Amino acid sequence: MKPAPFELARPATLAEAARRLREGDGMARAMAGGQSLVPMLNLRLAPVDCIVDLGRIAELREVRAEAGSVTFGACVTHAAIEDGLAHDPTGGLMRRIAGGIAYRAVRNRGTLGGSLALSDPSAEWVSLMMALDATIGIAGVDGEREVPAREFTLGAYTTALAEDEILATVRVPVLGPDARHGSFKMCRKTGEFAQSLAMAVSDPGLHYARVVVGATEGAPVVMERAAEAMRRAGGQAWSAAAEERVREAAAADLAGAGLDQDAFAADMHAASAVAAIREAVRR
Amino acid sequence: METMDITLRINGEPVRARVEPRTSLADFVRERCRRTGTHLGCEHGVCGACTVEIDGAIARSCIALAACCEGAEIRTIEGFDDDPVMRIVREAFRDTHGLQCGFCTPGMLITVRDMLLRDRAGDARRIRVELSGNLCRCTGYAGIVRAVELAAQRLAQERANGTVVTRAAGRAMSGEG
Amino acid sequence: MSGPPRAIGASVRRNEDGRFLRGGGQYLGDIALPGTKDVAFLRSPLAHAAIRGVDIPDELRGRVHTADSLAEVKPIVAVSSAPGYRRSEHFPLARDKVRFVGEPVAMCVADTRAEAEDLAQSLLVDFDELPAVVDMDRALEPDAARVHEDWPDNRVLESTIQAGDLAAAKAAAAVVVRRAYRLNRHASVPMEGRGVLAYFDSRQDELVVYSSTQFPHLIRTILAEYLGMPERRLRVVAPDVGGGFGVKSNLHPEELAVAALALRVDHPVRWVEDRREHLLASQHAREHAYRVTAYADARGRLLGIEADVRVDAGAYSVWPWTAAMEAGMSAGIIPGPYDLGVYHARVVTVATNKSPLGPYRGVGRTGACLAIERTIDEVARAVGREAWEVRMENMVRKDQMPYRSATGKVYDSGDYPESVRMAARLMDVAAVRARQAQGPESGRHIGVGFASYTEQTAHGTVEWAARGLPLVFGYESATARMTPDGDLVLEVGVQNHGQGLETTLAQVASEELGIDPGRVAVRHGDTALSPYGMGTFASRSMVMAGGAVSRACRLLREKLLRIGAHLLQESLDDVVLENAGVRGRGGRAEFAEIALAACVRTERLPPGEDPGLDVTTVYEPGASTGAYSYGTHAALVAVDPGHCGVEILDYVVVHDCGTVVNPMIVDGQLIGGVAQGIGTALYEEIPYDEYGQPLASTFMDYLLPGATEMPEVRLAHMNTPSPHTAYGIKGMGEGGAIAPPGAILNAINDALAPLQAEVNETPATPRRLHAALRAAARRPGGERA
Repeated sequence: MKPAPFELARPATLAEAARRLREGDGMARAMAGGQSLVPMLNLRLAPVDCIVDLGRIAELREVRAEAGSVTFGACVTHAAIEDGLAHDPTGGLMRRIAGGIAYRAVRNRGTLGGSLALSDPSAEWVSLMMALDATIGIAGVDGEREVPAREFTLGAYTTALAEDEILATVRVPVLGPDARHGSFKMCRKTGEFAQSLAMAVSDPGLHYARVVVGATEGAPVVMERAAEAMRRAGGQAWSAAAEERVREAAAADLAGAGLDQDAFAADMHAASAVAAIREAVRR
Repeated sequence: METMDITLRINGEPVRARVEPRTSLADFVRERCRRTGTHLGCEHGVCGACTVEIDGAIARSCIALAACCEGAEIRTIEGFDDDPVMRIVREAFRDTHGLQCGFCTPGMLITVRDMLLRDRAGDARRIRVELSGNLCRCTGYAGIVRAVELAAQRLAQERANGTVVTRAAGRAMSGEG
Repeated sequence: MSGPPRAIGASVRRNEDGRFLRGGGQYLGDIALPGTKDVAFLRSPLAHAAIRGVDIPDELRGRVHTADSLAEVKPIVAVSSAPGYRRSEHFPLARDKVRFVGEPVAMCVADTRAEAEDLAQSLLVDFDELPAVVDMDRALEPDAARVHEDWPDNRVLESTIQAGDLAAAKAAAAVVVRRAYRLNRHASVPMEGRGVLAYFDSRQDELVVYSSTQFPHLIRTILAEYLGMPERRLRVVAPDVGGGFGVKSNLHPEELAVAALALRVDHPVRWVEDRREHLLASQHAREHAYRVTAYADARGRLLGIEADVRVDAGAYSVWPWTAAMEAGMSAGIIPGPYDLGVYHARVVTVATNKSPLGPYRGVGRTGACLAIERTIDEVARAVGREAWEVRMENMVRKDQMPYRSATGKVYDSGDYPESVRMAARLMDVAAVRARQAQGPESGRHIGVGFASYTEQTAHGTVEWAARGLPLVFGYESATARMTPDGDLVLEVGVQNHGQGLETTLAQVASEELGIDPGRVAVRHGDTALSPYGMGTFASRSMVMAGGAVSRACRLLREKLLRIGAHLLQESLDDVVLENAGVRGRGGRAEFAEIALAACVRTERLPPGEDPGLDVTTVYEPGASTGAYSYGTHAALVAVDPGHCGVEILDYVVVHDCGTVVNPMIVDGQLIGGVAQGIGTALYEEIPYDEYGQPLASTFMDYLLPGATEMPEVRLAHMNTPSPHTAYGIKGMGEGGAIAPPGAILNAINDALAPLQAEVNETPATPRRLHAALRAAARRPGGERA
């Protein structure tokens, strides 16, 4: 399984990278860690004439803490986040999620930005950034812009990036001291792509509650009713009745999401949402 | 066909070569450098047989492009002959029957050594999670888990004796390509 | 079985580990020959189509080969003498038709594999698509499209078994249990794929074929026939092989094609299979469907079994086994370890437009075990008794040995019920029942299940001849040769690919000669180095090659003693072999001294003694019917009705393989087999869609168990020697992979019994469990989901 031939560009700056993408006229792709892209190249599933390797661009590896948020360069690796080398604005949630992505060898090279730019529905970061209401910073030849994570991920492998744009930063709001979070991932086999994925974040200080279910057929689903049920369940003991209310809310959210899913998928996703919310409430 | 000139270090030796951009690091070390201990089991980053170290961090060489490893320090299984931690790991694998056909073994050894150096070899459950990225079709993993436990014990002893001195394995902040 | 501490019975550390731990193993892809060009196959994207033509641009002629280039190469034809068996012709490169997705159509040759793949991708093949036959039951319908147009239908072989009076059993039955079971298609998937490297050696005037194979001599024999060349001009070498498990004990069309190509070009040619090719086009495993009806008395004692066995064997018959082997073997072993006099079966092998089916560790036994062990559990449930007790009461007892089964299998020795008793004790069934009585644990239902099995090993001439194959794997050869410096070289006809034979055969030599296994080199895999042998499969090697090595070493021993006695000037009665030498009353002669005399200083030999210390001999076990290992597995599972996931909480193996040569290696084989059995039970599947497109072609879709999917396995051993073999050894390589689907599905069903849900299909994925739970909920009397 060897790739078809392609050119490789290794620009030193973001501007140069954006220019190379534009020159590629739709047949150039940016590569960060390559952990998802190179397998596709090996399988000859990704028609590409030019790979623009972002690995030499120093600014993409930076992490900046500001008031109320932390901005990650796109090429910060999962391992760096897992090892606590980068500021964690989420009180350990990002670090915990990072440590569960695939396997260490993949985490050493796979990146936060690369994962978001690819937008595989089962990717943990895709769901988590939506759950955290992160902001994606995009760089292109014509300038920079920002898009909320929720509007960045449009579907399976579909994002708001234009062909010649590069995901440059991810800005994550700092969670308050009363924040609670939970996650649940259903894999048949450790480290493989999730069959179902749920993130639950609640920050009472900011009146913020969000529940996101991923590994659906399209973009992760933001579950409004489940978030509301989580808010109401917070601060009380978790009971069978609370669980049932949360489950019904999650099922209603899924039914209303317009997904092409069968009963099995619907049940799995509802169960994941319940598990994530239960963890958040009990934490 | 377009080629690039690259310079990197393989097991401490500088290597200069002309490669196609599409050449994987695995194929580069195997075919061009004749270090065939790194094996290809899937070429899509799942099985771990191709695991090497890039700048001190374990990585799957089948999905790393050789040209993106410009300037990097690559360590394959052949580069650990004098490594005292790898010696401990190898002896443990031999003592606990942690290999049968041997095909997954180089990648497994490099992963286990890294696990020990990062202090991630906790209980059996934790060890299994750390091993989950390396597939073995022969052993059922029992001998491998026991090898990790035994190696961890022996490493602790040798550290305490002073016969082995280690520093933590390198961790990259970013994806170097 | 006493002797020096590093002989039979000792957990000797392996001789072969050194090179593997350094990364110094030489697998097919590691061998570098100057001037080698790489081959990529253009493979059919369609399941069934006529080939109108392959468009090869002029500039590529000579680099692209189709069936036309190999016109004189004979097709692969697996033959059987079974009445009604239909043979298929499998051309190494498809000639007029393709019959499965992945079938090789053309060979593309280039300096690198990447360029060869570029070539293959650039070619255009003109196909006339034909309807694909994808479902084995549909394939048997009268209007089904035919895989082979010269066959009247899609049956490869149909046969029946009729032992005993089924009508009487039906009439006497208090309980009738009828179920359907299914194993879905999966594959051997060793970590190293297949591969071939071939070149013509002009000095030796022979074609040299390196192949990642389990049986080099047989490959040599059949390649010579299909290539139309004398066998003396062919050498086949299996280098280090990264796992086989059965998929490498077939002749592959790619082997034949690459070998043929090497005869036509002036450079070595190499094909290294990649993972996608392996999942698509290597021989797949175990697509079985069963319908089993059990007739029993009120205590659960089986009065008779009726079975319908159907196997989806894909498009062509694998060489040498034939497509019909799976079904025949399954049907023949459904009676399992049970004392069953009445057994009727209808056995059908069906051709479909899928990759050919071939043997995989356990072969037909895994499916047969699932079918009979699930049935036993349902019989027990019907009569309200513990399944493990019903099992024991139905089993052949040790005082009945040797026991001839309803299908003619002769069980040699063992205490089958004791293996169940031990497993039940280790699993503490009473404690499990108490636990279950407390209700679900965090929502999860706990269940326990057992599965028992017999494993026919090292079966010989009579048994193989009865199967109707043109090859009979009834013996093994070995050469034992002492070097002038007193070490030992063993050359054997089996092939080591993980079984530790470079160590265990050295242990046998140690047992006979008192030489340390570290001083024994075991050479295998190369037809130029070894006497003719059958290779490694069917759990035969330890018995067959061990027996041959034992025999050769005993012959050497006699000579060593004679020469040693002479050198010591003592009588033969006064000397013994000890510590790699001959000890007499007054002194010692080391092996090195004796060997020097035998090879180089022959004036020192006793009068009439021939020079040399080199013995080649053969071995057959005392009985052809096989040495039967057996055991019982028990699984404890937790089933989550929410996520429908299954966690194996505990797994017990009670196992008897007679005399054990190396306990460490035996344990490794058992646990490795259990891992594969767990894969079969819960994870591994290659589904095909209605157009015959396989839906699992990478490890993203095809899930192999990793370290976290494996439970800690608890092992207990019994040792009942075989009366027929050297040292009483029985083969045991497959047993671990036979019982897990039966044990795990029984455990899942035990867990789901309160919910009235049943799962009778592997892999028991969350989706299937979910469907079973919903079906149960919809049944009258059940709650709506």
